[in-house]
Amino acid sequence: MERLLTLSFLSTSITLRSLFKFKMGKLLTYAALIILAFFMLLPFLWMVSASLKLDKDVFRFPIEWIPSKPEWSNYTTIWTRIPFMTFFGNSLKLTVIITLLQLCTSSFAAYAFAKLKFPGRDWLFLAYVGSIAIPWQVYMVPQFILMRQFDLVDSHLSLILLQAFSAFGVFLLRQFFVSIPDDILDAARIDGMSEYGIFFRIMLPLSKPALATLTIFTSVAVWNDFMGPLIYLNSQNLKTIQLGLRMFIQQYGADYALIMAAALVSLIPVIALFLLLQRFFVEGIASTGVKG
Amino acid sequence: MASLFNQRIGKLLPVALVLILIFTAFGGASAQDQVNLRMTVWDLATTPYWQALVDAYTAQNPNVTIELVDIASAEYQNVVNVMLSGGDDVDVITVKDIPGYSGMLTRGQIIPLNDYIKTANIDLSLYSGAAEELTYEGSIYALPFRSDIWILYYNKAIFDAASLPYPTNDMTWTEFEALARKLTTGSGADKIYGAHFHTWRSTVQLPTVQDGKNIVIAEDYSFMAPTYNMVTSMQHDGIIMDYGELKAGNIHYSGPFKNGQVAMLPMGSWFIGSLIAAQNKGEFDFPWGIATYPHPDGVKAGTTAGTLTSLAINKASKNQDAAFRFIQFYSSVEGAKVLASLGNLPAIRTPEVLEVFAAVSGVPAEAQTALQTTTVRLELPMHPNVGSYEQILNEEHELIMTGSVSVEDGIAEINRRVAELPK
Amino acid sequence: MSILSLKPTNTHPSKRRSQFTKLAIAYSFILPNLIGFLIFTLIPMVFSLILAFMNWDGANQISWAGLENFSQMLRDETFRISLGNTIAFVALNVPLTMAASLGLALLLNQPLRGRNFFRTTFFFPYVASLVAVAVVWNMLFFPSAGPVNSVLSMLGVQNPPRWSASVDWAMLTVVMASVWRGMGYYMIIYLAALQNIPTILYEAAAVDGADTWQKFRYITLPMLTPATFFISVMLTIASFKVFDLVMVMTGGGPGRATNVLVIHIFNTAFKEFRFGYASSIAMVLFVMVIGITVIQFYMERRWVNYQ
Repeated sequence: MERLLTLSFLSTSITLRSLFKFKMGKLLTYAALIILAFFMLLPFLWMVSASLKLDKDVFRFPIEWIPSKPEWSNYTTIWTRIPFMTFFGNSLKLTVIITLLQLCTSSFAAYAFAKLKFPGRDWLFLAYVGSIAIPWQVYMVPQFILMRQFDLVDSHLSLILLQAFSAFGVFLLRQFFVSIPDDILDAARIDGMSEYGIFFRIMLPLSKPALATLTIFTSVAVWNDFMGPLIYLNSQNLKTIQLGLRMFIQQYGADYALIMAAALVSLIPVIALFLLLQRFFVEGIASTGVKG
Repeated sequence: MASLFNQRIGKLLPVALVLILIFTAFGGASAQDQVNLRMTVWDLATTPYWQALVDAYTAQNPNVTIELVDIASAEYQNVVNVMLSGGDDVDVITVKDIPGYSGMLTRGQIIPLNDYIKTANIDLSLYSGAAEELTYEGSIYALPFRSDIWILYYNKAIFDAASLPYPTNDMTWTEFEALARKLTTGSGADKIYGAHFHTWRSTVQLPTVQDGKNIVIAEDYSFMAPTYNMVTSMQHDGIIMDYGELKAGNIHYSGPFKNGQVAMLPMGSWFIGSLIAAQNKGEFDFPWGIATYPHPDGVKAGTTAGTLTSLAINKASKNQDAAFRFIQFYSSVEGAKVLASLGNLPAIRTPEVLEVFAAVSGVPAEAQTALQTTTVRLELPMHPNVGSYEQILNEEHELIMTGSVSVEDGIAEINRRVAELPK
Repeated sequence: MSILSLKPTNTHPSKRRSQFTKLAIAYSFILPNLIGFLIFTLIPMVFSLILAFMNWDGANQISWAGLENFSQMLRDETFRISLGNTIAFVALNVPLTMAASLGLALLLNQPLRGRNFFRTTFFFPYVASLVAVAVVWNMLFFPSAGPVNSVLSMLGVQNPPRWSASVDWAMLTVVMASVWRGMGYYMIIYLAALQNIPTILYEAAAVDGADTWQKFRYITLPMLTPATFFISVMLTIASFKVFDLVMVMTGGGPGRATNVLVIHIFNTAFKEFRFGYASSIAMVLFVMVIGITVIQFYMERRWVNYQ
């Protein structure tokens, strides 16, 4: 009830206004949400529609949203034209490993940046944030040379090592950790709990929404990464789904219908993950009973 | 730490280079041993000839294995550049376009082939001028194997409905425009456009260099004005589709043609294979034909423009001799026949090779005459700075075609920007 | 004390621990990330920034260039154009995306029916294929027969804009697409942050008779500031680095109307093989972003509430 009151600044408060006005507000909220949702779903609807067309009709204007002769065969072609299953597996493997590693290393570092005092902390943190500012296009050649020195080119390990230690993850989690009241941590310290104990038994349980956020962001980023696999993976059996999608784009033309069919199939794990982790956005401090 | 790394890399690069040179000097000696060659290609999954040519070669040379490194076509040259900068020792590099060739050549990443060609006694005249186009300061760094030329595709159904004769192999651009205006009918979704110019810069700029008096690396680009005036006036009158909308809608040229919305389409010969495949799949059912690319007034019929796909050898390759024997086969008459049998136009177009091509099922009957060319000019010539020129030409082309600037102002802008380029 | 110092955490109750143990504990938390970050990101990055003072074509010997690359930048017309375009993009994209994502998060934090559906929906443009996003957006704003221009002509607009096909409107079209694509992403961060606000604060405010607006202004907004700070920094950086979306929507055109800094960097490095010059442009980008980030850190001390 409290959240409803504070956050519905667009609608009106129930306690003071009449029930009628409250209902009007709700109605307007829903109307706005439905219109917005329609615009958000347009690319999805277009992808579905395009995936069922012949390639020559994909970009025809005005758009025929419901194809008169749906080409269901596009969905079987994608599995035979390219080794889609292998690519799917490779993407899944990379996404799971990188996301888990990033969650571990980032949350560890973020705790130190947020809640521990040590010399050089602020400068180090600025270096982390600053590193995000440099476009990858600039340092990808030096990075590639370095990877060749380690003899890691054309292996999954190269991508794992490049993406497992992200400055973004540290920054994101630090901002969440910082907002957890110090009183809780100090109370634990007085009880003789070590910093590791505090991290595992207090910080992590309290940070589920943040960890869920990072999981979603990292997974989506790794799953959709194109440039990294493009440069580091040469062997056909190591390639990922995003490289597979580009195989339908050829030198003199592209099979956009197949691309969209494959892109939709590749979206399924991402959407599933999002739905799975959603519940954490309604379960924070507010509902875990810890109130400082 | 950081400067240490910098020093290390700074020192390592020349050291690595020397090491590689030593390796290559000794590596070439043992020819009959088992050799594994690596070769960069694109569209491996959808282009049958890469593997077909490899199979044909390894059948004759069982001591050679060839590993194809497949790279996404749109990013091909960028990835090859990163690989070469990183010191990759891939042996054979497929050269996709002239800017990529000129970049690798001027930076010394691919080796001159003159000595090999002399030793192997290869007749460069077989490539009908393509070898000369690849020669830079007396040296040739790649052998061509595939060459596409620009031709004119037309929809016979539209011509029949309008009771107009099909385009001939000797048509000027002026006649082309007049014909396109006659063929344009209807409005809205049913409109038939007389012609179609794809959004590429080359569709408008190629006719301006057909006469051979000018090339697209120039100082004064006023020679481009007549063609731009023709195309923008056709666009203004609705004879061709609007450039801005083609661009915004990401509309590929194949869509409007296969949907029967355009009567004539100037396009490269690579489109033949794609049209045959689509027709066999039942995507469209109207009859279509091909004719020679139209030519400017006063230029010989059969003059067209083309693109080359060629093969080069990496300077860092440890098997340069074996690599050359492989590309020699790839670009030979024998290789050309394999390529032609799969519906692609090889760089060698002797009558016997063209016969193989014409025999591919679905190739229009006109092919043998329409594909006979008198002169083929490269879309882009060899020039160390060709990338910068291309960038400027692309940007100003877009401005002229969207009507953001007039033809005259656009060309003046090209002249001004080109003059500022480092020479 | 560095100028960047963040608000210090409370003094630890156990003051007996030696400085060394504290440092060791702190670094034991940081090192797993720091080692990997240092080797695989920071070192190549620093190397590329040093290249800003060098000439390198990606193949041959690196040579010293001093400040030559930077003086060349002053004469580089495309650099000036892309810098202006980038600043325009940042100035429009950052505030619009932040406002939209906060609005969405507040709306979807209410106990609404179908809330999960709406949240997933709003996140969708971010995970959808970039090609699909570009196509749909360009279709909505299609010059002749697009829905937006149809509505505009119905409203009596004589010559509706040609959007991405027009030099004057292309940048605005890209910004709108960017806001539309990004707001669901940043909404998630706001949603997660909203869960961290202790309910007790609202209960206390209710006892004191605060109304909805007061609660938003004095509880929600201050409690969201760490998230707002994070989003403003990340969004500013991401906007300065915008590349993919522009490439698929306009390719930097028409002409150079939407050419942004990273496109120019990319072309300089991979089309002209001037890696040193590309690095020097990246250096300018880096200095600008760091400058703005430091200002944001300063502001953070004034308006970020961490308790």
